[in-house]
Amino acid sequence: MSEPILTARGLRKGYLSGDRRIEVLQGIDFEIAARETVSIRGESGSGKSTLLHLLAGLDSPDQGTVTWAGLGGTGSGPRGRFLGMVFQAFYLIPELTARENVLMARRILGPVDRAAAARADELLAQVGLTPRADHLPAQLSGGERQRVALARALVNAPRLVLADEPTGNLDEATGDAMIELLLRLCADTGTALVLVTHNPAYAARAARPLVLHGGRLQ
Amino acid sequence: MPWYLYLALKQLFASGQRIFFTAISILSVALGVWLMIVVLSVMGGFRAGIHGMMVSTQGDIVVRANEPFDHPEAVQKLIEKVPGVVATTDFAQGVAMVEYEHRPEFPAIQGFNVNSVDRVMAIDEHLLRGSLADLDDDSIILSSELATSIGADLGSKVEVYSPLMLERLQSDEILLPKELTVVGIFQIGHQQLDSSTVIVTLREMQDLYGLGRAVHGIAVKTASELDADDVADRINATLAAAQGGLIPAIPGLWALSWEEINRSILYAIQLEKHLMTFILLFVVLVAGFLTMSLLLVMVLKKTREIGLLGALGASRRQIALCFSLQGVTIGVAGTAGGLLLGFTSLHFRNTIVHALTRMTESQKTLESVYQFSDLPSHTAASDVVVIVVSAIVLSTLAGIIPAIVAARLKPAEALRNE
Repeated sequence: MSEPILTARGLRKGYLSGDRRIEVLQGIDFEIAARETVSIRGESGSGKSTLLHLLAGLDSPDQGTVTWAGLGGTGSGPRGRFLGMVFQAFYLIPELTARENVLMARRILGPVDRAAAARADELLAQVGLTPRADHLPAQLSGGERQRVALARALVNAPRLVLADEPTGNLDEATGDAMIELLLRLCADTGTALVLVTHNPAYAARAARPLVLHGGRLQ
Repeated sequence: MPWYLYLALKQLFASGQRIFFTAISILSVALGVWLMIVVLSVMGGFRAGIHGMMVSTQGDIVVRANEPFDHPEAVQKLIEKVPGVVATTDFAQGVAMVEYEHRPEFPAIQGFNVNSVDRVMAIDEHLLRGSLADLDDDSIILSSELATSIGADLGSKVEVYSPLMLERLQSDEILLPKELTVVGIFQIGHQQLDSSTVIVTLREMQDLYGLGRAVHGIAVKTASELDADDVADRINATLAAAQGGLIPAIPGLWALSWEEINRSILYAIQLEKHLMTFILLFVVLVAGFLTMSLLLVMVLKKTREIGLLGALGASRRQIALCFSLQGVTIGVAGTAGGLLLGFTSLHFRNTIVHALTRMTESQKTLESVYQFSDLPSHTAASDVVVIVVSAIVLSTLAGIIPAIVAARLKPAEALRNE
């Protein structure tokens, strides 16, 4: 494997549930190289989302480290450039159109120039939403919303996409198409992908399928 | 435009329910600002109206003595050298009976020195008809309501009786009133002055009252109304030092500014203005709470979006700015709307008040209570600054608490929130 772009060592994370502490992650070692696709499968509550949040720097581990190659830390500053995220519940901003939602990820990094606007339009075209670019999320179907979210994840040309159950709110046919699109776009743009799913078929599409069980990756 | 301002504006003015709530918040701030600007301007108007009335009839400062005094020219020369004094004019005043076609009235009578009165008082500005230049020892200027009540107009010959004539009547002398021709009708806008004042020349007044060359006082115009108290102090110091030397000793010779003369009513107006400011600030405060509750509800509704912004690379400071800017925007828009409403209302205030008093038939009551026939208005720049700063600061503070709540949300927890 080539040099990893993300490395996690000895990640531990637990939560208090009443008086009881639940150790969700019990020493995770993980790394992913550029252009690599990795799937993480596991049962509900196995800690898949928790692991993804730790890898994205959105949460701090109780123990262990996460390193993004070439970057000093995993804070909000470099996050927007290093990775893009796709969520089960889409999380589009309802007041913004599809194009504005895609550009929002770019806007947070700095002023939107013509090149950025052109990239957003190109991505919307690649996910087949050019005619719907000026529609609000409420005017889009579930599949269309997730495709907007995918375009948003890729608009800053990140090195890694973290997808957390991206088909969880979609029907089977739409989910299949979504996975197809996700894999194709990541491959086309040379972006590494971590796909969290509980669907074995989707997990099998990744180059390196992993299973999270008992707080450990197998 | 920074993304947090862009998103703040997008969220505030989004179509649907949100713009309705935003409009309610902006309107509540605007109503508070509107009330404050109107009330404080009208209060300021009463103060300015009293000053205008004083300047029109007595100048910024009045110098009087216990008794009528001679040699006013020497006193005037001395006063005119005091820094801040622009001009002076001597006068006499009292009460007379004015009769026209068997209709008598008992107005206050002012005798002005026609050579210098226009340098101190703006009587000409208040003349509805006629001219101050036509005033001589055989003529008189009447206030508007007095002229109406006795039925006199320009050219009418009215008879004037002074208290001196009544004294002579007691001595079995023949009573011969002065017959004076009306050469002007004036209206100050002050009910009492407009209903019972007449103006004659100083010489005529001295003749009517048997004053010889003596006057009752000297009216002084200062460079600025704000300096009147200070200038009055300087005049008093100058007069005290000069009496018995440069000028003869005149018992009780003392200068009073227009503010000193009207101190009690000005104090009442000022107190009322401060109380109204204090009370009306609560309206803006309530608007601030409304804004805060709106933004807090929004933070709760948008918890997962706040998590998303974190996932997209937004810092906590930027997320806080996004929500506090919404408070600022509501404050700025509400203040601008309130100022627009306020100045529009003030522009049409007399139309509104006259319509209301016509409907309630209370025009005379208004004039008798407040003395002004029109609702006065004077907006001080300092009042506008206080109102604008209060409204924007309170709205900004209202946005800060929701902003802190939003910034404290951890992205991972916010994204897990259902």
